[in-house]
Amino acid sequence: MAAIVAIALLVKFLKSDGPWSDSFYWALKLAFAVIIFRVFIGVIIGVPVPGHTLFTIPNIPLPDWMAGITLGGPVTWERVSSTVIESLNIASIIAIFGAATSLTNTRAVLRSMPPIFYEVGMVLVIATTLTPQLVGNLKRIRIAQKIRGISNSKFLSWRQIAMPLLEDSLARALDLAAAMDSRGYGYSRKRSKYRPQKFTFKDALLISTGFIFLAVSL
Amino acid sequence: MKTADIFRFNGFRIIALTLTSIVSAAGFFWPFFSSSNKSSLIFWIATPLALLLLLALIGQAKLDAKSLALLGVLSALIAALRPLGAGAAGIEPMWFLLILGAYVFGPSFGFLLGVQSMLLSAFLTGGFGPWLPYQIFAAGWLGLLAGLTPKIKRIEIPLLVIVGLIASEIFGVLMDLQFWPWAIGPKTQLSYLPGAAIGENLNRFFSYHVASSMAWNVPRAIFTALLIALVGPGVLSALKRASRKANFVSEIKFI
Amino acid sequence: MIKFQNVSLIYPTSQKTILDGLNFEIGEGEFVLLIGETGIGKSSVLRLINGLVPHHTGGILAGNVEVGGLSTRDVRPGELAELIGIVGQNPVNGFVTDIVEDELAFSMESLNLSNEVMRKRIEEVLDLLSLASIRDRKIATLSGGEQQRVAIAAAMVLHPKILVLDEPTSALDPVAAEEVLAILQRLVHDLGITVIIAEHRLERVIGYVDTVIEISADGNTRIGKPDEILKESEIAPPLVKLARALKLPKVSLSVRDLRKDTENIRNTGNEVAQRHEVLGRELIKLDSVSVHYGDKIALQKLDLSIRGGEIVALMGRNGAGKSSLIKSLLDVVEYKGTIKKHITKIGYIPQDANDLLYHQSVKNECDQTDKDHSLTVGTTYKLLNKLVPNIKQDIHPRDLSEGQRLALVLAIVLAPNPELLILDEPTRGLDYSAKELLIKELIARSEKGAAVLIATHDVELVAELASRIVILADGDLVADGPTMDVLLASPAFAPQVTKVMSPRKWLTVSDVLKAIE
Repeated sequence: MAAIVAIALLVKFLKSDGPWSDSFYWALKLAFAVIIFRVFIGVIIGVPVPGHTLFTIPNIPLPDWMAGITLGGPVTWERVSSTVIESLNIASIIAIFGAATSLTNTRAVLRSMPPIFYEVGMVLVIATTLTPQLVGNLKRIRIAQKIRGISNSKFLSWRQIAMPLLEDSLARALDLAAAMDSRGYGYSRKRSKYRPQKFTFKDALLISTGFIFLAVSL
Repeated sequence: MKTADIFRFNGFRIIALTLTSIVSAAGFFWPFFSSSNKSSLIFWIATPLALLLLLALIGQAKLDAKSLALLGVLSALIAALRPLGAGAAGIEPMWFLLILGAYVFGPSFGFLLGVQSMLLSAFLTGGFGPWLPYQIFAAGWLGLLAGLTPKIKRIEIPLLVIVGLIASEIFGVLMDLQFWPWAIGPKTQLSYLPGAAIGENLNRFFSYHVASSMAWNVPRAIFTALLIALVGPGVLSALKRASRKANFVSEIKFI
Repeated sequence: MIKFQNVSLIYPTSQKTILDGLNFEIGEGEFVLLIGETGIGKSSVLRLINGLVPHHTGGILAGNVEVGGLSTRDVRPGELAELIGIVGQNPVNGFVTDIVEDELAFSMESLNLSNEVMRKRIEEVLDLLSLASIRDRKIATLSGGEQQRVAIAAAMVLHPKILVLDEPTSALDPVAAEEVLAILQRLVHDLGITVIIAEHRLERVIGYVDTVIEISADGNTRIGKPDEILKESEIAPPLVKLARALKLPKVSLSVRDLRKDTENIRNTGNEVAQRHEVLGRELIKLDSVSVHYGDKIALQKLDLSIRGGEIVALMGRNGAGKSSLIKSLLDVVEYKGTIKKHITKIGYIPQDANDLLYHQSVKNECDQTDKDHSLTVGTTYKLLNKLVPNIKQDIHPRDLSEGQRLALVLAIVLAPNPELLILDEPTRGLDYSAKELLIKELIARSEKGAAVLIATHDVELVAELASRIVILADGDLVADGPTMDVLLASPAFAPQVTKVMSPRKWLTVSDVLKAIE
């Protein structure tokens, strides 16, 4: 619990811009959802733990082939609380991941990948460059197809918009490949880097705190 | 002389792929074989390491500009499709495009396409978590599988629909396997029981899987199959045309 | 610098010989223009220069292509990257990253240039192409002209001696086109770079180039000075067509020169009646229509009325509000004010005609249109055949030539007989013959009572086609009147014939011919 609070404070101070900055909050929500889900499951089909009963859910026996699981039974405080505590472990790991992503700069990561991952990173770079263009294309195509006459069936209208988008994107890929070849991509095995990324103090702090929390929660 | 071929795993890398896949598979299936509580965490570290190793080795292969550009474009489309279902149970349009793309361009390309699409999707949404390397491997294997589908023209679409159904189910099993040890907590009747006999755990997992299937797998399988059946022919045609226009392994002759 | 010796080319998947026995030589520091009908192989010639054909595309090449002393038989495109820079038809498609500066660095990174060299060259190139102020911008947010300059910069950063561009000005408005052409000229004259471009719209380009290479349908190439080649070529800008029609001894390439030779005609020619249209009922009326995107006002309280039989040209700088106007007519954007429509069908041809197509064959597209509008089966295909005959039914729409695709899109949009037809920049990338097809069909439609609204920068098109011009600037209507009046009122806007013949009121070559009968 303390870990999560500490992380939350850290994130608040060091939050970076970019599409990931909200991921900590999403991660928190997810972690919370996991806890709730586990409590729910634990209560419904958990092995009963004796203790103070809060309320009782009626028993619903399931067919035999479902391994004789019974739904329902008394909901005890101990059950709920023990589930919550057990779940904190997982929740904090999720939170750590979320914090880590919140605090990293997408662009910096993509651009500064070690050369060994160059091709994989390159695909990501191209894809991220393309994504906003895809959205623009989609809007244009929608307008054109709407005037041409969009089909009533939901699936078929999807096709009317998806097909030109797909064809356009594939044509782009081929143009891009020709441009890349012309500009010397793949000519030399070695590549230089225009913006070499330096590890800042902030980065080091981040990584070490991450590991500490990880170790603690184990 | 010929122009470059589309990306294919060659001998050395096929071995690497097999080995890293075995590690990752162990990461999925350990609940049936290991009784250690720490297994979950061990594999949460081992699987991503295996993935990184595999990606590094791919990096050593020359990825031709055409394969790269196609990967970039298709993975962008697939990743963009992914959130379209708005999280509605199992409505994931990404699979149908992954399967068709892998079918046209080959198993190696398909594997890489699955990997890149998942990775990109995580990048775009910031959805990093311990589950990610598992999803990446799973998507990669599905791409590989789809790429291995035999090309029989007359029953192409029905065959792909079947592949779609199988792939959805496999993905469902893998995801459930991956969530199983930690998502529902250790003391329920459906939970993984460390140290129990394989039979007992299999039984429990099966029940868990059936329960989750109703919510996720069945809709996903049906939706994917529908998309392949309805939109498949057009998409396939476009992909094949692109493959032709790319002039892979085309003759270069000087006279 | 560049030598084509007896070059013939066949692509691996086709039987047709694309080029046959091409022979020409380009010296260092020349500014060369490559002309020819669409589909003749201009793009192939450009790609032969840096070896993309056949190394990247596959193909059987006879003869020899020698560049800077190296033959493309022995060298791959990547190895020529520091000698030849190439910019394709859609420069945006060739960009790998999303930020200007990173894009410039990409080529150098691929060639493993050192950091100091990269930094120095990036600064140089940013200044050379006036991009310093936008170095950090996202490429997707730049204007067409800026994007074209970034593409040129990304090529120039490797210090090539040759620069090849495929239709660099076809997608640009006149101001941006001028900028790009001026830059290219500066590269040739100040830096001694050899520049080769392929273009359809010759009016803008012809004044800048030293040499013209024409590839004709029978496989012959002619190479020579612009006035020599254009004197007899099928493809010619209005100035040249005018000189030829008037049977002048020499062909002038500038307005000034042609004015000197036509003084007599200016003084003695008759008045020519403007194209008279029978105007029908009012089809659409806009009343005080405004469109905003957030804080930005795209269209301010616009009043406009369009009647049947009119062909209205919608002109103005990029960002003046043309597309907002069109979108409000199409009802795809929110607007204030009222738009009264007295029509049932609107046809719309977007800037990128491919947006409309979604089937895999011409036949399916036509059949779909028949189905959508409850027409007799075959109507659309028949119309297509009338426009451009002999298009095979099973061709994939994207494999059609520009002219054929235009015909297909026209057939699809016109088959249901819309009362109002809206076109957005239809003449991009079209050669003169496709343009004529468009003009003929649109005039025919307007004579039957339909109205046409065409957003365009192409003044020559407007001169041939439009009866009325509406000009927008910053969301306001600044001009709305008959073509002749509007074009004459602004000398910069005028078509070439009018500039030559001013102050006489003649817009096209045929006007002038009629005047001297």
